[in-house]
Formats: sequence, C-alpha cells, structure tokens
Amino acid sequence: MTRLKVRPSTERGGRKDYISIKNFGFWYGSKKALESISLDIPERQVVAFIGPSGCGKSTLLRNLNRMNDLVDNIRHEGDIQIDSRSIYDPGLEVISLRRRVGMVFQKSNPFPKSIFENVVYALRVVGVRDRALLEEVCETSLRKAALWDEVKDRLHDSALGLSGGQMQRLCIARAIANRPEILLMDEPCSALDPIATGKIEELIHELKEQFTIVIVTHSMQQAARVSDRTAFFYLGKQVEYDTTEKIFMNPSQPQTEAYISGRFG
Amino acid sequence: MDSSDKKPLQPLDESRFQVSPWTLRVDTWMGRLISFGGISVVLAVLGMLVFLVWQVVPLFTGAKVTSQPELRLPAAVVAFGEDEYGALPFIGLADGTIKFLQSSDGAVTETWTPELAGRHVSAVRAYSRQGLVLLGLDDGSVQFAKITYRVEFTSQGDRHLSPQVKLEKPLTVGKLTSPVRDAWVAQSANGSLVVLQQELNGHPVLTATRLLERKGLGGRVTVIPGTPSVVAEGVTDIAEVLVPSTADTVLVRRRSHEVLVYNYNENTEAFALTQTFKPFANTAQPEISSAGLIFGNVSAVFANRQGAQEVWSLYPQKQPDGRSLRRWGLIHEGETLPGVPQGIFPAEGNKCYLVVAGDRLQIRNMTTGSLRWEGPAPKGVQQVIFSRNYERFTALTSEGKLVRWKLEDRYPEASWSTFFGKIWYEGATEPAYTWQSSSGSDEFEAKYSLVPLFYGTVKGTFYALIFALPIALLSAIYVSQFLRPEYRNIVKPVMEIMASLPSVVLGFLAGLWLAPLVDTHLISIFCVILILAPLGLLVGAIWAGLPQPWRRQVKPGLEFVWFLPILAIFVTLAWQLGPWVESLLFTVKEGQTGTAIVDFREWWRQVSTLGYDARNCLVVGFAMGFAVIPLIFTIAEDALSNVPQSLVSGSLALGASRWQTVWKVVLPTALSGIISAVMIGFGRAIGETMIVVMATGNTAIMEANPFSGMRTLSANIAVELPEAPAGQTHYRTLFLGACCLFILTFVINTLAEILRQRVRDRYKVI
Ligand SMILES: Nc1ncnc2c1ncn2[C@@H]1O[C@H](COP(=O)(O)OP(=O)(O)O)[C@@H](O)[C@H]1O
Ligand SMILES: [Mg+2]
Repeated sequence: MTRLKVRPSTERGGRKDYISIKNFGFWYGSKKALESISLDIPERQVVAFIGPSGCGKSTLLRNLNRMNDLVDNIRHEGDIQIDSRSIYDPGLEVISLRRRVGMVFQKSNPFPKSIFENVVYALRVVGVRDRALLEEVCETSLRKAALWDEVKDRLHDSALGLSGGQMQRLCIARAIANRPEILLMDEPCSALDPIATGKIEELIHELKEQFTIVIVTHSMQQAARVSDRTAFFYLGKQVEYDTTEKIFMNPSQPQTEAYISGRFG
Repeated sequence: MDSSDKKPLQPLDESRFQVSPWTLRVDTWMGRLISFGGISVVLAVLGMLVFLVWQVVPLFTGAKVTSQPELRLPAAVVAFGEDEYGALPFIGLADGTIKFLQSSDGAVTETWTPELAGRHVSAVRAYSRQGLVLLGLDDGSVQFAKITYRVEFTSQGDRHLSPQVKLEKPLTVGKLTSPVRDAWVAQSANGSLVVLQQELNGHPVLTATRLLERKGLGGRVTVIPGTPSVVAEGVTDIAEVLVPSTADTVLVRRRSHEVLVYNYNENTEAFALTQTFKPFANTAQPEISSAGLIFGNVSAVFANRQGAQEVWSLYPQKQPDGRSLRRWGLIHEGETLPGVPQGIFPAEGNKCYLVVAGDRLQIRNMTTGSLRWEGPAPKGVQQVIFSRNYERFTALTSEGKLVRWKLEDRYPEASWSTFFGKIWYEGATEPAYTWQSSSGSDEFEAKYSLVPLFYGTVKGTFYALIFALPIALLSAIYVSQFLRPEYRNIVKPVMEIMASLPSVVLGFLAGLWLAPLVDTHLISIFCVILILAPLGLLVGAIWAGLPQPWRRQVKPGLEFVWFLPILAIFVTLAWQLGPWVESLLFTVKEGQTGTAIVDFREWWRQVSTLGYDARNCLVVGFAMGFAVIPLIFTIAEDALSNVPQSLVSGSLALGASRWQTVWKVVLPTALSGIISAVMIGFGRAIGETMIVVMATGNTAIMEANPFSGMRTLSANIAVELPEAPAGQTHYRTLFLGACCLFILTFVINTLAEILRQRVRDRYKVI
C-alpha cells in the first residue's frame, strides 16, 4: 500500500447536508447504473468520488445537475436535495438548477468563440448587456481560475488556440462566472499534464472557500490531495463514504482498501 | 493482478518492422488514383467551360470579307442585279437592254433588248431580289421585265443557268404622258406600288399608284393600276425618293433635309402626307448626304456630311390628341463615320447596311450600331447590292466596273449590347431588354437580350429559396436538436427519398395540379402561410407558460404530437377563412357593368396594373422549393447533428435553455455546413429546368410582380435549343446563356465558399 499524503480536513462553517442524496437509484433503460446511494455533502467542502471505471461516478455526478435528463429512457428512484429542496421538485426549472450547480467536464469543451465570450457565456444567456459588468466578471473569473495572466492580452482570440490545461481552466472560469453554489468536476485533469493538473488542484483548493465542489477522479493521489471527504463506489454501489483521511488511512471496507492499494481497478 | 498469466512477449521478429512492398505499392497507387480523380474532375469542369466559351466566341468576331475578281463592264450601266447565287450578274443599259455576264470573267453570255414598239426607255431600275427590271418609258408608262433562271446541269454535272427575260404589258400609272425620269416599285403581300417621277414645266412630279391584281378566268392574273395620286405636290427640291417594300408609303427627302412621309389611305384610295420629320434637326449640320431604307422597310438610316448617323423607325407614338399612331421617330444615333457618306445600302435578311464613307466601306448593324466590317472602298461606288443570303455583295462603280466581295458574317445581330444592353428595336416604343428569338415572319428581327433571362433566373431562385430556406433550415434545426432520435431516423430517409424525386414529376404536379389550386385558392393559401408563424409562436408561448408539472407530462422531443392536431385545426380554419377574407379585402367593381366581383386576381390586375398569370412565381416557388427543401434539409441536418455533443452539454450545464444552446452554440458551429447546404440548394434552384419549364408560362418578362411567370436561363436553353439551328446566332446565344449561368453559379459559389471558409476558421471545432 502506497503511502499517501493527505491534507487534513479543515472544518469550516456551513451545512453538513448541503447536498443530500437519499436512497438514490438510477437506470439507463433496463440497466441499473446506481443502487441506493445515500450521502450528504457539506457546504464549501470538496468531495471526491472514486472507484473503478464504469462504477457510476459520472452518472451520480451528472444527476446532481440533471444533465442525465438529456439521455433517453432514464429512470431514478430516491431523491437528491440541494439546500433541502429536491432537484426533482416539479416546480423547479432545470435551467435554474444548472445555474446553481455548475459543471466542468472531463474533456474540456470551450465553445468556438473568443476567450471572453466563453467566460461570459452564462451571463449572455441571462441577457446581461452591460459591457463593464461583463468585463469585470470575465476578469474576476479568469483570475479565480488562475488564467488571467496568461490570457489577458488575447481575450478576444479564439479559445481554441489555448493549450489543453488552459482550456480546462477556461471551462472552470466559465463555470464560476455563473456564480454557482456547487461545482461539479468530472475527471477534470484526466487529459492534462502534471503541471496543468497541479495548477487545477491548486485552484480547487482556492475555490472551495466559495463553492461546494464534487470531483470525480480516477487518481487516488488527486482525491487525497484535494478532497475533504471521499466516496468510493463499486459496481454502482456506494461502498464507503467518509473523510478523505479516514478512507485513505484507515478504510473500513476491504474493497476500499483493495482499490486504494491499487489491487484492482 | 496476477502476473503469472502475463505471457512473456514474443521474441522480436525483425521482419515485423519491414513494410511489405505490397502495402507501399497500394499506397502509391491509391494516391495516384485519387489525384487522377481529382484532376479529372477539375479538367472536366474546365473542359465544359472551354467548350461553352468555344461555342460562344464566334459571336463576337466581326464579319470577314474577301474581295473577288472585278468585272469590267462592256457598256455604261444604269442598273444591275444578280441571281441568287451570284453566278450570273446582269446589267441594265440606258436603253433597257439587259446583259447577263459570266461571273468568272465578265463575258456577256446573253443580251436581251425590249421590244417597245417605237417607244423609248427613259428610266431603268433593277430589283435584284425580285428578279425584276422596271423600265420607265418616254410616254409616261412603265413596263416590268421579269427575269427567271432555268437551272440546267451539264453532262459534267456543272450547274448552268440560262436566264429568261419576259416583258410584261405596259402599265399606264402616271397622270402625265411625259417621259418617266425615274421609277420605283414596291411589292408586298397586300399589293404593289409604282412611283414615277416625271417632269412638268421643269419641275419634278411624283405619282404613286397602287397596282391591284385581279384573278381572271383560268387563273390568269391581270394587273390593274389604281388611281394615281400625286405625291409631294409642289415640292420642287426632291433629293431622294424612298419607297419601302410595304407598298403603302413613299418617303420624299427634300434638299431642305426634311423628309415627307406619304401614306396610302384605304378609304380615300389616295396617298396623303402624314408626317414630316427632319433628321439631325438638333445638330449643327442637318445636311443629309445619304439615306437608305433597312431590310424590313420600317427603318431608315440617315447620314449627314459630318458622318453622323441617325436611325429613324416607324413605331407607335402618342399623338397630341391621345391616339397612338405609327410614326417615324429617331431611335438611334449611330457612330460617326470615317468620311463623307456617299451611299447607304441595305443588307438582305438582316438589319445591317453598307455605308460608303470617304474612301472606306463599312458594314454596320442598324440595331446595335456595331461595326461589322470596314475596308477600303473602290473608286466611285454608285450602288451596292447584297445577295439574298447575305454572303456576297457587289458594287457598281462609276468607272464601269462591278466590284465583288464575298462576305462571311454569320452573326450580324450579335454584340455585347445585343445580349446585355438595353436596345431600341425598330418598331418598339422604347429601348428595352427583350428576348424574342423567333417569329413567323422573314423580316422579323430576333432579339437576344439575356437580361430578362437573368432576371427570371434570379426571380425564380429567389422565390424558391424564400419558400425553401425557412422550412428546410428550421426543420433541420428541429429534427437535429429537438426531435427524438427514433423520429429523426424516420424523417431523414424520407427526406432523402424526396430529394431524389425527379424534377419532371414535380414540374408536372406543379403545372397540372398546384397551379390551378394556387389560382383558385390563393387567399386561402396566404391565410395558411400567414397563420403558421404566429400560431407556432403563440402555442410556444402558451406552452412555456404552463406549470412545470403539466409540461413534465410530455416527453421532451414529443411536443409535436400535441402540436399537430392544433396545427391541423388552425390550418383548416385559415383555409376556410380564405374566401371570406377575399370578399372582405379584394372586392372589385367590374369595368363595364359595375357589378362587384370577389376575385383577388382581378383586384391585383386593377390595383397593381400588372398582370396575373396562373403559372406564376408562387407556383414555381412552391414547386422548386419542394425540390430544394430535402437537399438543404439533409445537408443542414448533418451539419447540425455533427456539432459535438460536448458543446451542447457545456452550454446546457451553464444554464442555457435548449433554444439558447441552439442559437448561441450549435448554429454558429454548424454555420459553415449550413452555408454549404444553402449553396447546394441555391445551385439546384438556379439550374433547375424542368420545373420552371412546366410550371411557368416561360414568358421572358422583367417585372418584380410575384403573380407573373418568368423564363430562366436554363429553361430557355431547354425550350429553344432543339429548334435553334446549330452554329447560328440563336444557337450560340443559348450557349452564351449557359456560359453566363456557369459564371453566375461559379462566382456565387466562390463567394459563398470564401464566406464558408471564414466562418469555418472562426467556428472551427478541434
Ligand atoms: N448514456 C448512457 N446510456 C447507457 N448507459 C450508460 C450511459 N452512460 C453510462 N452508462 C453506463 O452506466 C454505467 C456507469 O457509467 P459512468 O457513470 O460513466 O461510470 P464512471 O464514470 O464511473 O466510469 C456504465 O456501465 C456505463 O456503461
Ligand atoms: Mg466517468
């Protein structure tokens, strides 16, 4: 078993069950992808989902902002509540949910527009016209995403001219420009080199002062480095959910230990 | 993992790193094959263009003229003519003798002298085309000598012409019995006219007499002169008399440079002055030095001593009293000639004329003003005649010579202004762009303006696209972005089948079913079209306003199932509303009786003063739209579907609605593909032939009126190429039309491609 450096979980204020997943099950057609998941995610903390490929991490993550609605023939049971309100509440607009719950994808997906337009996209969507406001949001978001210094001279160039790491940070900037409360990240560093990965991890650390972050990762080191709490899934089931320290130092389930020590996955 | 089940790697086999020669060979050959294919396509397109240009270029070459041996004439000649092939010219001497000359050496083959019973010939005029020599006699009568040729073939197979001259009975046509100084004859389908110039008290007297033909017993035709009328009575300064072959007009040019027009009046059976005009009235030098009637005899060219030219033509003109009468009017001011004009001689069979100016000869086209040929003039040209087929011309000189030329001018009507310019054709009331390639009459002048065809092409394409683009693009967006995949998988193949529907079938349906339907239910159709967009928006708004739980009932992508019945109801309502709307808005009073009639077509005719055709732009727009929609739809749908899902998810995850995602992300990303789709649809519409041929009246008119037909370049080619004789102006003009179509599509496609590249570079997705 590899020894991992684990950040001590810092206790900050905020609700313990900011996101509350209750007995959540999920089907793609007849295929059950998730089975009775129950976990609470505290406010302004980083929670990592780990587990072998195909265990349902992304599925669960995409359910948090209902991105799975785009898939045909899906079905769920149980409930997910954010700030005590069910995301399946018929009165809740999916669009407003997604404005509160931002998402960064595994493969960076900047729009084929300028860097500036990418960052302010969410504001444009809600009809913000005020140029000064847009510029201000663009700058603060890019600063928060630690990208400002690299791109400030070419804000109006195409975003597609950026490097892979820069694109991913641009996507993060784009997500936080929307001022969400929660940021979902699905393997945000899987396509990046170590230096870019380092920058993004640093970023996550800073962002958790403001956002509740759920990150899916297949890198245990990353989970250990960035998260306060970690959930381990296996074959669509939640095996263990605890503080990162506990999961990596002293897992209570043998499967968790096996996975963490690299014996399968 | 168990490492025991991992077998050690196979020992490295050197040959695995070698590329087999076969692979390499296939690679090179495939590369070559592909290059060959690509180059072939480029060559084929270029070849097409080269072929088109090659067909068109001769149109813009001038006439080619080669001189032929001159014939020295045996005697002083006052008139001359030729047979149709120029093999046996004849000359008329002052005493009425006619001599036939061998065209090769000028040897006299035959001589004919009239038997005049003691009278004497005082005037001779030859009409080569009619094979007629008019003899004016010293007792004031005239006699026709008719020349006919018998063709014989010698034992060697050579053609041999033997002329025969037949002197007809003397006709007393004048009022005087003094010698005839000059005589003219005009023959037309409705009678003949003889004009005589005699002298009384030292002043010229002109008499014009119509000749009436009476069929007697046994089919014999006797010619009976009508009552002679004195023309230009009291006019003592007659410079020239022009007698158009219409046989109802005499033009008298005075030395004061005024032209008097005398017309035959059916009622009084006499000639009366109808018009006086003065060419060059507005110029400093109104001295006419030459004048000539042009083939067709409704136009005359005048030239003044400065070499300025004016063309006057007979066309309907508004008179002060409001009537419209055919009067002579100035229609062209020609280019300045290179010297003092000495004679204007009409060509045969077209609107060209030969003008002798200074020491130059020019062949010019009257209508376009273009110079067909210019060459040196022999000394002392007195008269020039063209052969009937416009392949030769011969000049009689004062030096007693016949100078002969061979002429090769197959496209006398062609010029840039013919095809692209506004031209005032003779007989027309104003300059216009006209396409009219044929008619029953020999004297008809074909009009080859491509502009109305361009106009029709653009108009047809415009109406087709204005109908097709919104439908095709909106449905492509809907199907690719909103419809559930299982329905998309039905819609797409159906559309693809539609795209392969032969356009003949569409044209057939459009002409036989759609056109009458549109004709009778126009307002209903308008109502339906007008209601669609507001209905869609309204239903959308209501839908968006429904509470979430209600909307949840309908699966995303299946909303249309609910919309369809609503649509059906409203479309039916709108259709039924049509007649009511028509009676409300489009009731007109009938012209004479004053009864009110409900008819949009009549209303449109009265309100817009434009026409209404049953086969109009709307029918073409609908029918061509149907041909174009599947094409645009399929390609645009592909382009939209190919926008990476990750971009769509990215946008949705940022809280954009589906429509915002489509508008702000999907459309810009797919824009280059959509432009391609539109271009392909455009290309199809602009080149579409059968539908236009069958669904429009194919009238080459230029008006923006949506309720009139059109003729497109492509339909024009399809309709007229079969009847255009190969290699002639008409035929080559059709190729010019094809060439223009080619260039038009090429230019527009190139522009669109540049735009597309720009867009693609801008919205390129990695
Ligand atoms: N759109 C989908 N349709 C059908 N099955 C899916 C879909 N997405 C994921 N799955 C299935 O659900 C399971 C969980 O997938 P996913 O959540 O992507 O796993 P992970 O992210 O943990 O690798 C897998 O078995 C996968 O095949
Ligand atoms: Mg995943």
